[in-house]
Amino acid sequence: MTSNDLLLDSAGRIFADHSDKAVLDAAERGEFPERLWNALVENGFHQLAMPDSGVELADVFAVIGLAGRHALPLPFAEALLANRWLGDSARLGSIGLVQGDRVVDVPWGRRAELILALDAERGAYALLDGGGAGVYVEQDRNAAGEPRDAVPLPEGVTWMPLTEPAAAFLALSRGIAMAGGLERVLDLSLQYANEREQFGRPIARFQAIQHNLALMAGEVAAARRAADAAVDAIGGERFELEVAAAKSRVGEAVGIAAEIAHQVHGAMGFTHEHQLHHFTRRLWAWRDEHGNEAFWQQRLGRHLAALGADRLWDFLATRG
Amino acid sequence: MLQFDRVTLPESSEALRAEVRAFLQQNAEHLERPNSDFTTGHDPEFSKKLGRQGWIGMTWPKRYGGGERSFFERYVVTEELLAAGAPVSAHWIADRQSGNLILRFGSEAQRERYLPPITRGESYFSIGMSEPNSGSDLASVRTGARRDGDGWRINGTKLWSTDAHRNHFMIALVRTEPPSENRHAGLSQIIVDLKNDGVQIRPIRNMAGGEDFNEVVFDDVWVPADRVIGEPGNGWRQVTSELAYERSGPERFLSAFRVFVEFTRLAGDRPEPGVAQAIGRLASHLLTLRRMSISVAGMLEEGKSPEVEAALVKALGNDFEKLLPEVARLAATGRSTQSAEYRRFREALTDTLLLSPSFTLRGGTREILRGVIARGLGLR
Repeated sequence: MTSNDLLLDSAGRIFADHSDKAVLDAAERGEFPERLWNALVENGFHQLAMPDSGVELADVFAVIGLAGRHALPLPFAEALLANRWLGDSARLGSIGLVQGDRVVDVPWGRRAELILALDAERGAYALLDGGGAGVYVEQDRNAAGEPRDAVPLPEGVTWMPLTEPAAAFLALSRGIAMAGGLERVLDLSLQYANEREQFGRPIARFQAIQHNLALMAGEVAAARRAADAAVDAIGGERFELEVAAAKSRVGEAVGIAAEIAHQVHGAMGFTHEHQLHHFTRRLWAWRDEHGNEAFWQQRLGRHLAALGADRLWDFLATRG
Repeated sequence: MLQFDRVTLPESSEALRAEVRAFLQQNAEHLERPNSDFTTGHDPEFSKKLGRQGWIGMTWPKRYGGGERSFFERYVVTEELLAAGAPVSAHWIADRQSGNLILRFGSEAQRERYLPPITRGESYFSIGMSEPNSGSDLASVRTGARRDGDGWRINGTKLWSTDAHRNHFMIALVRTEPPSENRHAGLSQIIVDLKNDGVQIRPIRNMAGGEDFNEVVFDDVWVPADRVIGEPGNGWRQVTSELAYERSGPERFLSAFRVFVEFTRLAGDRPEPGVAQAIGRLASHLLTLRRMSISVAGMLEEGKSPEVEAALVKALGNDFEKLLPEVARLAATGRSTQSAEYRRFREALTDTLLLSPSFTLRGGTREILRGVIARGLGLR
């Protein structure tokens, strides 16, 4: 086992132990998964992305992908990245986006003690108190029922320059989490198709089902390869463009794969009791967070148009 | 779960890439084609030039004229040729699969006889699999060969054999034993000399106006015994082993690439959002498909037989080849149709659109590929 495998293995065990259907349902009712968060802190996972953690950023994103596979119901990527940029803290950090005089789309802003307010236009961030520190929070949620809150941006906050492509890191965190979530949804669909019997045989034996699942497997594999490629580009000059390609390609895969997953699962998958929706709703929500397909496609397309038709192939034929 | 490892091309590939680009620039007169389809440009002069460069049979042993280079290096050469729209169809099948088949299953005498001329770009092969009544159901082929003296006598008809009227040899999948309960048993692969064995070849005009594929009739055609590749009866195993080579390469997602280039040219350097979005979308697909295809090249390099992964790359790649012209067509709307850029775009678009039905048929239909993938997923 490599150190990467060990890391994923121990993360996977914590995720599996503390992120079952009951925890997911409770989180959706607004109960923060304190036991999960404590377990992560006890095992040092909140420090995983710190510059001196000894863990490569690529491996950090692999763990974030695994968190997506488990639909981890807390702001995992945000807590890790906030610690990376703000310094060590066992207090829960989250990250929101400056929009006018507010900081919006803050995952679990109601519970976070620190909020990093990101102003991409200014190329800067500011540090705010979160709901956990007694600040007024306007509660909101995404399609998966995950808290996406807003706090007022106080006047006179201190802005500090961003030293890393924070927006791209956040987009990649969603991209890799979606790749993990897609793999889970494929596993669930394959399992269901092999178990569910109609007309006297498992529905997996029907060609119509087989072909839809084959199509889905292609999209899931493409999503994984695209997200991994962006992770591999961290630190390189193409990084933001690779994130653009990955976030948009994964987002397209979500549209196709989640639809097929539900079709295969039939009415069972449409019930709240079934676990499928915890994953598919997150996939639908995440593809719109930190830039959807259209946003990143335009970004990549503008770059390529400026390069020109005769350099298009050179850009595509990259070694990595 | 199907795995596509994060394979990176070796550093040495960049020098090779530069070499190929320089070569293409010096041979630009061969590149005046409106599409980037691998089956439509038959140019023996160009193939011979490639042979002199050492770019055919690159992975084969040197004693047969090969280059003993890696699948990654071969990958770089083939993708550069396709992206430039080079006319590669003459030597393509020989280089991609026939030679590999002879290398793996053929006799020493066959290797010495057939491989060196292939690497020189002088000897071209066609595929002899489909028949009038055997398409996707390949095991149902009826063309039969029976022992006759020191050889075989063949009767039957092969169909859709690309360039059989131009190429030198065909590897025909034939039945050498009567059908039995095991329908995969009793099949063999035989090398047929298309110029000298007395087969009748009739080109079939396709809907795009090209005459590339053929009907090949065997009417009591006799071939010597040393034309059989491998053991008689082992044909099914051999023919399916070709598929990983046949299905995973860049020709499975670059057939429409010329449209992308001309669309980007038409868009100019500061396109409106919808046009930029179309360019970005196509690029995100292409980057990903190429990486998946290189992952499969890595598996071939390791000596694996990634047939399911190859089928998945082909299925995904062929769908992209059909998506590309549709996305470009709609995004290009509203522009002046009188510019030189628009005419080039429209020429590529029309040509590719007319060829596009073949993308998801040749080399295994989309439906067959999905069946292969489903089997890999444990669904059948």
